[in-house]
Amino acid sequence: MEQVFEHVTPYVGYVYPNETDVPWSQLIVIYPYITGLVAGAFVISSLYHVFNIKSFAPVSRFALLTALCFMIFAPTPLLFHLGQPTRAFNAVITPHWTSAMAAFGYVAGFYLCLLLLETWFAFRADIVAMSKVKTGIMKKVYGALTLGSDDVSHHALAIDHKFARILSMIGIPSAMGLHGYVGFVFGSLKTREWWSSDLMPVIFLLSAVASGVGLLIVLYVIVSKFRKTPIIDETMRGLLYVLFAGITIVMVIEALELLEIFYKAREGVDTVKALIAGPIWAGMAIQWIMSVFVLVVTSGLLLFEVHGKRLVNWLFLCGLAIMIGVLAMRWNVVIGGQELSKTMKGLLTFYPEVFGRESLFVVGVISVCPYLTLWLVTKLLPPWADGKEAVV
Amino acid sequence: MPKHIARLFALIVVVALIAFSVRTFLIPDSFYQYGHYRGAAVAEIAAKVPKLQGSASCLLCHKKEYEVWTAGIHRKATRNDAVQGVVYKYGPGCEVCHTGPAGNHPSKQAMPLSIEDKVTSITHHEHKVHPANVPGRNLLLNPQDMRGLCLNCHEKLAGRPTEQRQIDVATHSGDELCTKCHNPHSPRIVFANLPPSLRGDAKAGKAVAAACAGCHGETGTSANPAWPNLAGQHANYLVDALKTFKSGVRQNDMMTPMAEGLSEVDMRNVAAYFASTRCVVTGGDKVKAELGKAKAANCAACHSAGGLYGKGSAGISGSSAWPNLAGQNADYLSSTLKAYREGSRTHAVMTSVAKTLSPLDIENLSAYYASVSCK
Amino acid sequence: MTTPDTKVAQVAMSRRNFLGFLSKGVACAGALIGAGGAVGAVVSERGNRAFQQNDEQYAEAVNNPPKVPDYNWNDHKWAIGVDTDRCIGCLRCMEACKMENSVQMDANHYRTWVERYVYLEGANTAVVDSQSDPKNIENTGSETKFRFDNRYKNVKVDKAFFVPKLCNQCEHPSCVQVCPTGATFKSKDGPVLIDTTYCIGCQYCVQACPYGARSFNESRGTVDKCNWCYHRITKGLNPACVEVCPTGTRIFGDRNDPESPVSLFIRNNHVQVLKPEMGNAPNVFYKGTDKEVV
Repeated sequence: MEQVFEHVTPYVGYVYPNETDVPWSQLIVIYPYITGLVAGAFVISSLYHVFNIKSFAPVSRFALLTALCFMIFAPTPLLFHLGQPTRAFNAVITPHWTSAMAAFGYVAGFYLCLLLLETWFAFRADIVAMSKVKTGIMKKVYGALTLGSDDVSHHALAIDHKFARILSMIGIPSAMGLHGYVGFVFGSLKTREWWSSDLMPVIFLLSAVASGVGLLIVLYVIVSKFRKTPIIDETMRGLLYVLFAGITIVMVIEALELLEIFYKAREGVDTVKALIAGPIWAGMAIQWIMSVFVLVVTSGLLLFEVHGKRLVNWLFLCGLAIMIGVLAMRWNVVIGGQELSKTMKGLLTFYPEVFGRESLFVVGVISVCPYLTLWLVTKLLPPWADGKEAVV
Repeated sequence: MPKHIARLFALIVVVALIAFSVRTFLIPDSFYQYGHYRGAAVAEIAAKVPKLQGSASCLLCHKKEYEVWTAGIHRKATRNDAVQGVVYKYGPGCEVCHTGPAGNHPSKQAMPLSIEDKVTSITHHEHKVHPANVPGRNLLLNPQDMRGLCLNCHEKLAGRPTEQRQIDVATHSGDELCTKCHNPHSPRIVFANLPPSLRGDAKAGKAVAAACAGCHGETGTSANPAWPNLAGQHANYLVDALKTFKSGVRQNDMMTPMAEGLSEVDMRNVAAYFASTRCVVTGGDKVKAELGKAKAANCAACHSAGGLYGKGSAGISGSSAWPNLAGQNADYLSSTLKAYREGSRTHAVMTSVAKTLSPLDIENLSAYYASVSCK
Repeated sequence: MTTPDTKVAQVAMSRRNFLGFLSKGVACAGALIGAGGAVGAVVSERGNRAFQQNDEQYAEAVNNPPKVPDYNWNDHKWAIGVDTDRCIGCLRCMEACKMENSVQMDANHYRTWVERYVYLEGANTAVVDSQSDPKNIENTGSETKFRFDNRYKNVKVDKAFFVPKLCNQCEHPSCVQVCPTGATFKSKDGPVLIDTTYCIGCQYCVQACPYGARSFNESRGTVDKCNWCYHRITKGLNPACVEVCPTGTRIFGDRNDPESPVSLFIRNNHVQVLKPEMGNAPNVFYKGTDKEVV
């Protein structure tokens, strides 16, 4: 007997034969996850730049670099997923505007430029200073980055400040737009009951902010430990407020979305229930346990006015939990949506590949890359003010 | 404006200009011709070469098979049929079953795939050698495949419309291959439709029949009720019977040596002769016949005229592969059924049927069929 | 009373506010233009035009059709009728399609397939399977020998029927709507085609098709779909599945010709389309389907 079902996805009930090949794999799970982290990190940076919330000053430049590094790698999962990666630019050359996906190249490109410009303005004074101090090849690199101008007069810096502020203000709707748009790519598909929801862009956006803040908390704590610098209490409290606000709204809206599905109880609602109880139960459990954990702990931290080392420890745990929870949520949405058959009469169970082009291995490599890049970039452009107030 | 801002703007403008001109340069020629796509793609897709060529193309080489098919029921069904004005073009043409060969024919190795696979031309009738190593299927040579092929359409399956002719494999043929009785190109076994070469010559058969006359009578009515009447019997069944005697599948002290002396052509001829003679009803016990009639419903599926194909007279079999029973000698019938029951004669269907019959049933059934009109 | 200090601060403040306002204004205007463009693009697609086709391109399509020998796409409007009452589930259509179009020979890539709906005795809903059901494959012992097994032999069945499926070549195809590059498009005579030299393989169209008609060809890295054998119908032949159907279940024809088989079929029967609520306006018309058919 020939090998039966070599790479078919097992299913129960009835699914269309073509559905047994799940089109969007785990790579598409981490794509919105990475873009989400960008959005969250950028929001923290903007809260300082635009709204002048001083408590975020110590991390604002670091947040900006984090956003930049993750943004650089946001499109890589997509490239690995494409059947013809060499043709990826076809979507940019001839964008078909009725497609929710066509604008991706432009939106992501625009946002990346924005981040690059903002970073440049935020670090220009340092770059100029460095181009004077360093020697050898690094001097050339910094020299090129200054664009041949070492004007760091008070007037020039004031102008820089203004530009950075304007860019930041454009950046907020762009970041929201970028991530709301990722939600739209899913939410606008009428064929998939699990995706087809008007709340999808909002859910994506808010969970993105929450996960990005979580990432910043985790990175800030770890980096501070390594650099042996004090963790500023005020900053941690600020991050706590944002995290609390984020997780509260996310949970309410996600609960509303589930409620709507069950309350409307359209054809196939039993299959949706079976989906939650079946193929994605683990993901759902992780998502909700982590969310509840974060909600409870942040509430407690707020309620009991916790400060100092205990705040750091608990908030660090919250940061990790929200990152895991949001990753699980992305899995539940992207994979869950495809495990629910278009027939509404069957459920697939997706098993990820371990090695190969679209595999867990590649996902792991892509996930590590932004952190490595961030480490390199902080060597190039140290974001820490170290006692002084940030320049911008 | 400070120098660095001016330079930055200059840099942005340069990058944007480069990006824009690269984009303009990269747009394919016919893009936006008819809409948001490459206009040339339409003609490219249309230029792909069809693989299925239609039954008419098979005629170019396979004349004999084509003629058989034309005469048979599979062809009959391919006629256009208008129902409520809608012309239904249906019935299996060559490529319905021979999808495989169409896919890798006539090179027997491979047919070119599609435009996606960079093959653009093929000359079908010139038996060129085409690129090998392309996925395709082998020619239909394996008899087991052949059987699966028939069952694709004719296995009795929940969901098949009743108009479709369907068989329950276990009771219809057991392990026998479909081709034992049916010609797949013309599966309905209608003798008149077979080409003359397969039909047998009754005149020539008369000479052979002289050897049979001693027992089976000059016109096929046997002298002894223990021996079967042959008059009016299906020729196909008679040929099959002779063949089984000759091959030793059936054993009979008289018949085995007789059959051994006959060539296949002789068999066809003598069968055709007896099929053409007038049958005679031998008759049976009336009371038993009445009782047997009630029991005969089971037999009717095969041994009543029309058989699968419709209603008809009792005892006249629908397929020429199965014997007519009408007017047959009661003694012969009962001894045959007993032989099936005891296993001294075997048949995929009859053995199991006979085992459900009591000795009394056999008596009654034999009497019934012996008294049925054989016209 | 305001001190000079606060005045300076106010001026600075108002300038900052103004700047902020300006940038917000720019951002909002940009967003509006973008959104307006997208909405406009979507709204203008209804009617008989393809997505994003302007007047000039429409005129070009009419006046200068693609150079296909002996064929003008302006003369035809193809459609398929499916008379499910006649389907015997023999799967000849599917196998012919796989041969004709070099579809991958396995159990998860199809351009056309057949579904079996069975109402067991007393049941209100149907049990559904297709030829790629694992039991059917185990029955034949091979992924490439397509056949329905006889699993309902020994149970009572209230009603059962087969439903052939293929691409509906919708009037408003969601797959074309979501293609980011323009690699898939609706031709003027009906079929939705794929330009396999331009497809990037993102599979968004696979997600968007409500009928599961699209599949991803891993070896080519592009998406594959039924195009009603565009290379055959432009040569005056029937699509492969229609050509080999032994019972006349599939009826192909030109809706521009009121006497074509498919026009008569649609006119003389009560026909349905699949999932009409999707708003795709399919061009495959079914006779004799059932509430359970998806």
